[in-house]
Amino acid sequence: MAHPAPSPIYCLRGAGAPLNTLHFCCRGTDTPLLFSGSAKGMIHMWNLNSRRPEKSFEAHGGSSILWVRTLQSKDALISQGRDMQVCMWDLRGGCGELVDSVFTGSFGFCQCSLIETDQTKSLLAFATQQSEEPDSGPGPLLLAGYEDGSLLLWDVTQRSKLSQVKAHPEPVMCLTFDPQRLRGISGSAEKKLSSWILDSQNNIQLQECVKLVNPGVSQLCIRADGKLLASAGWDHRVRIFGWKKLRPLAVLQYHSDMVLSVAFSDHLDPRQRLLAAGSKDQRISLWSIYNEGAATG
Amino acid sequence: MASDLANADVRLTVAQNFRTLASSTDEKDIIAALQTLLSFVNDGPGTTVTSAQRSEFNKAHYTRTLQFLVSNIQADWLKKLSGGQRAELWDSLFLKGPPEQTLLVLMEAIGELRPSGSLDRIVNITERFLQSGRLADLLWSYCLQTSLSDSAQLRETLLSRICALPDLTANKLHPNNRPLFSPQQYYPLLAKEMLTALERTCQALRDGTNCSLMFVAQTFGKVCIQGHSDAIMASMAPHLSACTFNDMVWQRVCWKLLENVPQRWMESVLTGLVQAVHGPDALGRIIGNLVLTNKTAQFVITHKVLLLQYKYKTQVLRTILSYLAADRDRRPLLIQVLRSLSQAWANPSAIKHTPVEQQFYVSKALLLSVSLLKDSELQDLRSELLQCMLGGMQSHLDSSVVRIRNMGMVVGECLSSRMDFGGIKLKFEYEQDEETRELLFLMNPDPCEESEPEPGIGVCSSEESDPSPQKESSQPKLKTDPDSELDSDDDLTPYDMSEDVKMSKASQPRYLRDCLEILLSSADPERVELSLIAAEGLVRKNSFAAKEISVQMTKVLLHMEDKYSIDGFLNLRQATMVALTVTDCLPVTQYLTSEFYSLNYSLRQRLDILEVLALAAQELSKPVAGDKTPLVNSVPSTEISPYPGDNPVHWRQVVEKRIQSKTKYISKGASQPAPKGTRSRYAAVAGYFFFPLLRNYDKPQVTFDLLGSDHLVLGRLIHTLGIFMHLAVNAPIAAQMGCALLDFIWTVRYHTDQMVRRGILFAVCSVFLSMPSHSLLVDLSDQLFETRTWLADVAESDPDADCRSLAVQSLVLLDESLKKQLQGSKQPSLDS
Repeated sequence: MAHPAPSPIYCLRGAGAPLNTLHFCCRGTDTPLLFSGSAKGMIHMWNLNSRRPEKSFEAHGGSSILWVRTLQSKDALISQGRDMQVCMWDLRGGCGELVDSVFTGSFGFCQCSLIETDQTKSLLAFATQQSEEPDSGPGPLLLAGYEDGSLLLWDVTQRSKLSQVKAHPEPVMCLTFDPQRLRGISGSAEKKLSSWILDSQNNIQLQECVKLVNPGVSQLCIRADGKLLASAGWDHRVRIFGWKKLRPLAVLQYHSDMVLSVAFSDHLDPRQRLLAAGSKDQRISLWSIYNEGAATG
Repeated sequence: MASDLANADVRLTVAQNFRTLASSTDEKDIIAALQTLLSFVNDGPGTTVTSAQRSEFNKAHYTRTLQFLVSNIQADWLKKLSGGQRAELWDSLFLKGPPEQTLLVLMEAIGELRPSGSLDRIVNITERFLQSGRLADLLWSYCLQTSLSDSAQLRETLLSRICALPDLTANKLHPNNRPLFSPQQYYPLLAKEMLTALERTCQALRDGTNCSLMFVAQTFGKVCIQGHSDAIMASMAPHLSACTFNDMVWQRVCWKLLENVPQRWMESVLTGLVQAVHGPDALGRIIGNLVLTNKTAQFVITHKVLLLQYKYKTQVLRTILSYLAADRDRRPLLIQVLRSLSQAWANPSAIKHTPVEQQFYVSKALLLSVSLLKDSELQDLRSELLQCMLGGMQSHLDSSVVRIRNMGMVVGECLSSRMDFGGIKLKFEYEQDEETRELLFLMNPDPCEESEPEPGIGVCSSEESDPSPQKESSQPKLKTDPDSELDSDDDLTPYDMSEDVKMSKASQPRYLRDCLEILLSSADPERVELSLIAAEGLVRKNSFAAKEISVQMTKVLLHMEDKYSIDGFLNLRQATMVALTVTDCLPVTQYLTSEFYSLNYSLRQRLDILEVLALAAQELSKPVAGDKTPLVNSVPSTEISPYPGDNPVHWRQVVEKRIQSKTKYISKGASQPAPKGTRSRYAAVAGYFFFPLLRNYDKPQVTFDLLGSDHLVLGRLIHTLGIFMHLAVNAPIAAQMGCALLDFIWTVRYHTDQMVRRGILFAVCSVFLSMPSHSLLVDLSDQLFETRTWLADVAESDPDADCRSLAVQSLVLLDESLKKQLQGSKQPSLDS
């Protein structure tokens, strides 16, 4: 018999609201950190050694937070809220200090996307109307998923559309892309994930689909080593797939409500890598999965 | 007088020479004699023979001369001649004279001589005769009608010699036959010679000479009727098509040729031609308006090929119908053909009594001819076509064979879209398969009509395209897959994912009574679905609880409708009913069998009853699985697992099997215990399944007329009874069941519906399989003879191929069973 699916190694409570977004920051610091953004406008900074919130502050005037990300300089954090603002915070103080903010004018649920080209420059894409995700190519290319279920590839410098494909009948809820393999996957409100590749002419070509048992995926995430894909399902479950062949590997059951976000940690030591899932049941679960063989490979 | 004198002169010379040859021993005399004889046939310069003398010799003495030469083939003088002399004198005598006489003499000699050196000589000469194109000379001489010694009998003989040369030589020379005499080489050669003769005819016509094609046409026809039309047509049709492309003389010659083919051979010529010819234009050029002038040709083309013979490819149909449509004079024939095709298609009796393949063929022809009609013609035929369409569709849809129903739907759709009832079209739902696609495709114009090969290149240039560039381009594709073996997900072992099931708000019922309650009264689709899914498992888990409410539950399930379009509804319902029947056999079977004949059920429900009973009987007859192996059916999910092939249990089993197959066991002890005999649970109750269904079949009701229009159910009923019979093998009651079943089917054995007949024959097979052979003899002795006759009749003449093979099978079974019984009963009697 196969092993039963693992349990979470621990979970973080106390966010007090559904957790829309998660972001690890474990590289180069003694204390690995996890940032979370909740539906009530709270940004938490969790210390993963003590497993307690280190800092927390209210942002975006209590509106739901869609997305958080740190810049390479550790102390800067960007967050996107449903108050149509994207804000930049300085974390050196006791709590976040607002440095700058941009008005987006978009009421959508689409998350921003960040690409850091070098130490000093970074490029942020946010939706004025719809949803997006970046790709590091020769010129900055941007992949965006739209509510009509189509995926578009944009050349940012030329401001032109490179390719368009209709991947889902329902709105694209999430997508993620593996720049090494030039392969991505997107999820929607239906019972399948569809994967696609970018060919040499920068055309998006649909590939095989993965069938799910229950419909709805809110986020997808590929581990940094390109081996695992995690999906946050509306059916309270996190699913793990092998990324190369999209073979289903595990179904993680812990949450009692929709899982809204998943993230893999960026630990330098592969054995310490974590998977975090944030759910509507106000908890963050942390899992250690498929880390054992990684030491050799 | 002068000619008489000349004739006497010739006769004298010939006789003198014969005498010299027969008696002389001087080489010079012999050579001189042969040269004299040769000078009669040799048409070279410097000859002293007048043409009158030559024609006299050819008419009266040539055959004699040749016969004389053949009979003296062993003479000493022939041996004395050198090889060169022999070829020059002796062989030339055979190769230069009138070819028809030579051929007759040669064939006669081959027939008479024993295998010897002389036979070899004759065969050599015959070979050279064929190789040097003398056949063309022969045919051509008949075109010119210069052969004077012509009687009908001679012609007949000559014809049969020409056509049957391969047979004659094979009979005589086997196994040392020459390759040239084999049909594969001879008939193409003959075709080439005929073409040469025709070519010469064309030339002669241009020069203003009259020719007769009678003999060539006779040869053509005779060869075709003897079954060599493929070989002949393969070389003739392309050539004729190319030659007639822009040559009116050739066209006229072809028309004349076909007109001259005798009536009795016309059919084989035409069928061969329409198969070999490429496209309707070529056919039109070759046969012209033969269908209008020749009754036989008309019958063959418009009736026999289209309606009676159904072996031809679609391309042949297309060629014929387009040929009819191509010319204004022939178009009335197309209309006439369309009428008869539509009648044949719509004929309800034909649908019942002709093979499906033939109906498919007629459908194809009908669609093709409709697609060829002009709009104005369509207007005239509209009412007729409409009638045909409606009537025909009705009888097609009445059929119980899926293929025929599909055919009816497709043809109906195509006809209605062609006739255009003000934008209204018929549209059916059917599964697209190869046949329906082919039919639909026929409404499009012919794709290869335009691509008829240009004359000249069509004959011999088909293998010039170089396949190598394609190969090269397809080669490098193989290595583009980035995920090689090393780089795969296989090192990641999947966890157990069996918990990953569908989420639902309601929970599955845990008691069978709850299930029943929900199925009876709930209007919540989700709960109904869940209880339906859970029901089978609950029935099997707790048989005591199931027995309390089995009949009630069966009743509810039987009347249940798929109101909420639940996934796999029919399977779930059926599985539960089967589980109920197995668990509580007697009451449920009694209930189901009695309901089968009662009022107020739909055909579907009656079929369901039969299916459930058959499946339950099957399950009961299997040995009971022990406690350790879980019942496969008890897993309540008929939904296919979302990740097929990744089931970890399955994976383990595969690996273990692999290990077992690679491992050699040293110990030779019985590693597997012999299968234990278990009591069949079915044998005891077989009668309860079987006999109630035989009770009321002949009492028609308002809603259910088993022997009338509801033959679909009848077929299934008999099939199900056959299954019961088959499963009851070795049961004590099998003999009684067999007698009853044979009695029952005897009344319907010639049913018009082929599905019913198939069911009947299946039942017969199972009777012969399951009945003990002694009771077969004892109980059925008076019926067996009649049954055998009936089966033999079916095996021979049933239009349905499946019925025929089933009948043959049951005859074999019967014979085996009887043989076993007779031998078995003989042996002990001998011993005693």
